[in-house]
Amino acid sequence: MTLAEKKAEIVEAFSLYEEWLDKYEYLIELGKDLPPYPEEKKTEDRLIKGCQSRVWLDAELRDGRLYFTADSDAIITKGIISLLIDVYSGRTPKEIAGDDFAFIADIGLKENLSPTRANGLVSMIETIRQMARDSEVLRAEDVAALQPYYTAVIAALKEVYDPEIPVNIYDLGLIYELTISKAHEVFILMTFTAPNCPMADQVLAEVRESVEAVPGITKCTIEMTFEPAWDKSMLSEEARLELGLDYDEDDYGKLDA
Amino acid sequence: MTAADIRSFFPALSDSVYGKPLVYLDNAATSQRPQSVMDTVSRLSLHANANIHRAVHALAAKATEEVESTREMVRQCLSAASREEIVFTSGTTAGINLVAYAFGEAFVSEGDEIIVSEAEHHSNIVPWQLLCSRKKAILKVLEIDENGELSPAQVEKLISRRTKLIAITHISNVLGVENPAREIIRIAHTHGVPVLVDGAQGFVHRKVDVQDLDCDFYVFSGHKVYAATGTGVLYGKKRYLEAMPPFMGGGEMIETVRFSGTSFAPLPGKFEAGTQHFNGIPSLKPALEFRQKCLDDKELLAEQEAICAFVTEALLSDSRIRLYGVPRRTSDKIPLFSFTVEGAHHEDLALIMDKMGIALRSGQMCAEPLMDHYGVTGMLRASFAPYNTLEEAKYFIACLHKAIDMLV
Repeated sequence: MTLAEKKAEIVEAFSLYEEWLDKYEYLIELGKDLPPYPEEKKTEDRLIKGCQSRVWLDAELRDGRLYFTADSDAIITKGIISLLIDVYSGRTPKEIAGDDFAFIADIGLKENLSPTRANGLVSMIETIRQMARDSEVLRAEDVAALQPYYTAVIAALKEVYDPEIPVNIYDLGLIYELTISKAHEVFILMTFTAPNCPMADQVLAEVRESVEAVPGITKCTIEMTFEPAWDKSMLSEEARLELGLDYDEDDYGKLDA
Repeated sequence: MTAADIRSFFPALSDSVYGKPLVYLDNAATSQRPQSVMDTVSRLSLHANANIHRAVHALAAKATEEVESTREMVRQCLSAASREEIVFTSGTTAGINLVAYAFGEAFVSEGDEIIVSEAEHHSNIVPWQLLCSRKKAILKVLEIDENGELSPAQVEKLISRRTKLIAITHISNVLGVENPAREIIRIAHTHGVPVLVDGAQGFVHRKVDVQDLDCDFYVFSGHKVYAATGTGVLYGKKRYLEAMPPFMGGGEMIETVRFSGTSFAPLPGKFEAGTQHFNGIPSLKPALEFRQKCLDDKELLAEQEAICAFVTEALLSDSRIRLYGVPRRTSDKIPLFSFTVEGAHHEDLALIMDKMGIALRSGQMCAEPLMDHYGVTGMLRASFAPYNTLEEAKYFIACLHKAIDMLV
């Protein structure tokens, strides 16, 4: 059954129940039928945040397809998980990552569950999506296709300058991580020279603007970190030349001023 | 008066949810508001909206008078010695934070001790933890007994020469049991230790005479006692409030401001920096009048007792249900019931009963240490107000059984 067919089947199954309590009865039954989840997989890193109840979710990639197993201490939540697994388990990461998960709203679950539960549901969906994105396999032709995007995004990052130091943020070493997905979504993990940088918001906005202006890039997500803290050893060779720095400690000191 | 009589004052109580009449049993989180309270807020917003204590014009005078007459009413309600001891805050949390900061600055140093109980709301734990980490002081924890009560003998044991303050709840928001505050305060005072009482729940269900109780601080929230949200009161003994530095700096709390130094306004202004919630504070007047009626009316009180007895009996007689907070004396219990059901998750029960029109609280109820004490991840709580009827209590129990049957 295709993804679309499966979703349509579930929406139809739910449409049979007019009363909310009947929908819950159905979810409870689904929850009870969820295959057992191994106790040793109930670990902190498999726990989904944002739920009043606890949810553990695990994914395994076999032959290019993702298989999910999950558990919860609350039975209605288990029912919802069971639905999600029924729809998405055994599909390719690309299929899952590209899906809009709108069928959840079509069966009325998102609106009618309690706000904290709705958040839990959103977290669950986000986790499944993230797992799908993380397990996207890059083939040789994908790598080749992404190469020019990396080059262009790095060039775009070099357009953004630190407000204090006349060196671009890339050569300053502020970019800790840069990834581009097959859907051409950019993820950047970056830092600042000091945690209390008053220009941080402006720089973040400039980075996003500059990266999203690269033709073909669909989205740019930036995360800030101060772990590890930035220091001058992270400067690129070009930045050192630009600043006229050699390895003399006194010169390093000047940057702090 | 009966609960049925007073329901008409509260527009929300006639509402429906999912096509079912609303049965609101989450009063410990926030109470519903009577029309008189909302009329006060709206009348002042529309016709007496001016910043208080500042300008000389008529509107400002009217607004100021509304707030100051509320202060006098709160003073009378608490039987406080003077208006200077009544500080308006945004709620219980703000009141406790104010004391934790300002009392801490004045009286707490490295190695000193603060005592709280394990039945406290996070609001009466975290501000003290912050104080202790700021001052390198030590937080000691008073344990509850198997009935969910605090024992004065325990307090005696825990107090040391380094104890600077004891902060306890009048009535726990999870257990619904009145603590022996008077006895704890008496013991604390023999050691010269002041006591803060968290009255977020206690003030709603009990008459409070701060001089008789002899507490040094008493805090409560307006929104749990039928008044506008964002209002609250801190009562503090004058000698403590005077010795404490301001919590926040700003307008209204000063006497003179020079760059060479600033002197502060007399009490209670010293602790009321910035623009006050002047449209909301006067809503405490109709709210407190309503509270007084509820606490005086024999018929209403009898109805509350009947609800308390009925729900307690219904929950205790079901072997699948574990009720937390069953005091030795039934008169110490307010109509607030936290429980767990074997084999049914609190969230599942709350979701199903929500669809039956019943508003309950599920989860940790801002009291994680207490959840750990009982070894549970959360509970389900039904908390009643004087406007809840015995019929609602019966409907709640019937729906609870139905929900359990769906799940177990």
